[in-house]
Amino acid sequence: MNVEKQDKPDLFSLIPRQGMNDHVASLRYAQMIQRALMPNPAILKGQLKDFFILFLPRDIVSGDFYYAYHTKLKMCIAAGDCTGHGVPGALLSILGISFLNEIMQSDINLNANRILNRMREKIMLSLHQTGNSRDAQDSIDIGLCIIDSASWKLQYSGANRPLIMIRNGELTEFKPDKMTLGVEPVKEASFTNNCIDTKPGDSFYLFSDGFADQFGEITDKKFKYKHFKRIIHSSEELPMAQQRQRLESAFNEWKGKAQQVDDVLVIGFQL
Amino acid sequence: MMKLKAFRIKNFRSIVDTDWQNISPDNITCLIGQNESGKTSVLEGLKVFYSGIISEDVLRSDLSLPEISCRFTIPKGWLIKITDNPGTELKELLSGLTHLELTRSWIADLSSVIKVSGEISQYLDSLEDAWRIYLNDVTVKLEEEMISIQDLETTFSKLIEEESDIRSKLSPGKEKKFSFRLFWKKPADMENQKNSHFPGLKNQLNQLKKQKEEINDILLKKQPVKSAGEKWKKLQEKCTQIDDHMKELSLKLEERHQRMTLLMRPIEEDVDSEWKEVLYDYRKTKSEREIRIAQLDNHIAFSGYIIDGCTEEEAENKVNEVIQSYKSQFNNAYLGKKYFEYCPVFELFEDFGSLLPNRIDMEDIVSGNEKVEGYKAARNFLTLAQLDYSFFQQPSSRILKQKIENLNNTLTHNFHDFWQQSIGRNNKIHIQFELDHYNASYEGKAGKPYLEFWIKDEGERLYPKQRSRGVRWFLSFYMELMASANVIDKQMVLLVDEPGVSLHARAQEDVLKVFENIKDKIQIIYTTHSPHLVEINKLHRVLAVQRDNLDSMRSTSRILDPLQLASASPDTLTPLQNILGNPMGSEGFSSKRFNLIVNDTGSFYMLNAIILLMGFKGKVCVIPSTNVSSIPLLCNIMMGWGMDFAVLLFENDDEIHMAELLKNSVFKTDSNSREIIIKMPGAFLNSEDILSTLDFKNHLLESREGITVPNSVYIREKELPRNFILSRFLSNVKEEKIKVSDFDEETLENFKLITDLLRGLK
Repeated sequence: MNVEKQDKPDLFSLIPRQGMNDHVASLRYAQMIQRALMPNPAILKGQLKDFFILFLPRDIVSGDFYYAYHTKLKMCIAAGDCTGHGVPGALLSILGISFLNEIMQSDINLNANRILNRMREKIMLSLHQTGNSRDAQDSIDIGLCIIDSASWKLQYSGANRPLIMIRNGELTEFKPDKMTLGVEPVKEASFTNNCIDTKPGDSFYLFSDGFADQFGEITDKKFKYKHFKRIIHSSEELPMAQQRQRLESAFNEWKGKAQQVDDVLVIGFQL
Repeated sequence: MMKLKAFRIKNFRSIVDTDWQNISPDNITCLIGQNESGKTSVLEGLKVFYSGIISEDVLRSDLSLPEISCRFTIPKGWLIKITDNPGTELKELLSGLTHLELTRSWIADLSSVIKVSGEISQYLDSLEDAWRIYLNDVTVKLEEEMISIQDLETTFSKLIEEESDIRSKLSPGKEKKFSFRLFWKKPADMENQKNSHFPGLKNQLNQLKKQKEEINDILLKKQPVKSAGEKWKKLQEKCTQIDDHMKELSLKLEERHQRMTLLMRPIEEDVDSEWKEVLYDYRKTKSEREIRIAQLDNHIAFSGYIIDGCTEEEAENKVNEVIQSYKSQFNNAYLGKKYFEYCPVFELFEDFGSLLPNRIDMEDIVSGNEKVEGYKAARNFLTLAQLDYSFFQQPSSRILKQKIENLNNTLTHNFHDFWQQSIGRNNKIHIQFELDHYNASYEGKAGKPYLEFWIKDEGERLYPKQRSRGVRWFLSFYMELMASANVIDKQMVLLVDEPGVSLHARAQEDVLKVFENIKDKIQIIYTTHSPHLVEINKLHRVLAVQRDNLDSMRSTSRILDPLQLASASPDTLTPLQNILGNPMGSEGFSSKRFNLIVNDTGSFYMLNAIILLMGFKGKVCVIPSTNVSSIPLLCNIMMGWGMDFAVLLFENDDEIHMAELLKNSVFKTDSNSREIIIKMPGAFLNSEDILSTLDFKNHLLESREGITVPNSVYIREKELPRNFILSRFLSNVKEEKIKVSDFDEETLENFKLITDLLRGLK
């Protein structure tokens, strides 16, 4: 055993203190870059009646990302959740944001599902995923909405991420395709395009699974999706900023002193 | 001087009547068509037009005999120069002619005669017709005269009878009898009767005598007519006998032909010798018939003058005069034979057995020993090298070898102008000949010179026989052609049956180059199945041959000229459709459907797959171009054939440019050009972009790699076999391995765009 200990040096002991500080500094810088890549929430003002973004990264950098892009008549809002968290998730999220930008800039008139189809191609190409079992299994789950302000139609397409709509106090959930943006075990299929006729006052919520998957300090159980929906539903009459606060409070309350298990992202917007 | 312009073949193998078919004015004519369509029959027909030699197996089952006509262009006034003393009318006709028609027709013994046909023949026939009408008139007159003479002779005989009757009454013996018979009558009555009878009888007798004399005078005068008439009858009888005999012989010959053509096996030898006798008899009888008919005609004319009262001598002279006035000194056969001397040589290159030999003795070349192997090819070689025997008499062997070396280089250089293929890497073949002498080991030949031939490349020095069939064929073909072009002093029509079947596509194109090079000296008519031997921008050269009933080999062949190609069957047009890009046997240009031209074969597959998937039933026929640059040519063809069509263009640089080009040049005069040029709705660079990336991967590539560029760009960048991929896709659709439900909504939306577009075509 002693021999073994001598053969396997303690890696942490080898990292100089200064080196660790440099590492954290790099991550802080990376965080800045990641935040800079994500849209400034200010751009959504004026485009939407009200909105909030609850973004609670587990680490300095995040595997979750939000995205917004708009022209005069169309707006795209998305909430993405990359596999893993921390640095690997953050790198993938940067790819996701870049790809979304590329796609939206090339054709804003694309249907929501076609955006996801294209995004998946880009991710598969970038990660060299060809359907081989040895491929990298990284991927992005995402919920994406395209809002046409002229026709009041909202297109939604989801890769493992649903959309919640609240209209006149009633919650409707739009189920996502059980696929991710990345290679599928057997075969990739086209994402489904959901077209919703919206009404003024309708509220929509896109989110990652970090909130529902958070373990509670006291209960040691996950918050669960049905409770998440209950909070959303119960707060629907509140202004978006207060909804955000309520969600954040509920999350923190549930988490207590337990470690945050994943990045948390919730986007709420009202038309 | 004479250049083949058109031909017409009747009753030859599967051909009943091709009608007049113009050959290409630029001297290269290409016959396309399926196997057994009758292409080779056309070439053979033209060959036998020149040679006149046919066998029973060319006869059709109804045994109608072949007749082959060729129309030649000639310089105006040229016929006058080669026709001796044509006479005023004929001279006027000949001086204005710019073309000449010759027809070779065969008779039952399979011998043939070549005649002028067309305008000259019409003129000569009109003279002949007038002559026949004249003879008919004379014949009618002669018949009337003969009847009248016969009537007179009958009357004369009757008069003689009556005369003799009266004379008997008046003679004593008769009186006695008369008295005896009337013995019972009273004597007074008898006396009275006698007195009253005699004067009456005498008067009658006198009258009869007078009548007799009159008739006799007439008959005497008509004696020459009678003699002529009797001779006419005899001649006619003889002619009838000959005709009957000819009919019998013809029947026998027909029976033989029937046996040959129906049984398709050789006739036994003893039967054959019997047939030879029949044949000899037939020919003899035929020539006798011609003589007899000429005699009869002359005699009829002669009789006419006798009827008119001429003496025999006068009549003879007048017959000669009338023949001159009614009949030209020329007839169709005479002029046909005369003009045929100037006819281009028709040569059928069907057998290239006389390939360049490995070695040939100079002695055989000098003595013209055609039986020695490769003689013809060796002669061609020397002709091409412009060598004669004196060349080899150069006393200095060093100079001779140098000259040969130079010649080898020149020949090889010339050959390379046509033979573009390289062997293996970059080295091309070299033709080489050497002069050498037999050594002492060759008994009887020692010291004698011979020529040795080689076909070399950098790696190998091989005898001609060691080379591939393709190389040997092309070399032999090249030499025959070039030598013919150098030697012949009159026009030549070269008939080539499926040239270069054993050649690579590239070498087939070289064959076309040879044709192009010699076409000023030699007119070429060739058959082919190969798209490489049809030039897309020279479709005026194409004649399509096909059966009337495509399913029956017993049906007759017909020829479609370039303007009728649209109505040819898709199979017939296969070589054309291959070069134009249409790869499907069952599809093709259609005059009954709307033709939609697309950029290439790949798009053709894709659109047809969409049509199948969407169950589109409209009458639209997708026509692929070989590439974008060939679209104007296809448009011209469609316009020429008067077909409904439009061009579907995608959003790539070439096709955007093509849209402009079509508007500005091809459809310049067409106010509907906007409807003819259809831009593909949606920004598709090419047809494969109609599929979503996902469907493209799933159904075309069968791969899962991420694709972030348009499908067409992906295919180009990865250098994938586009036509193969799209062809496989169509095939899978046809086999229902891929169904419309397998596609995503993006693709289906695009499919709908296509079907809406097709539906809107008018």
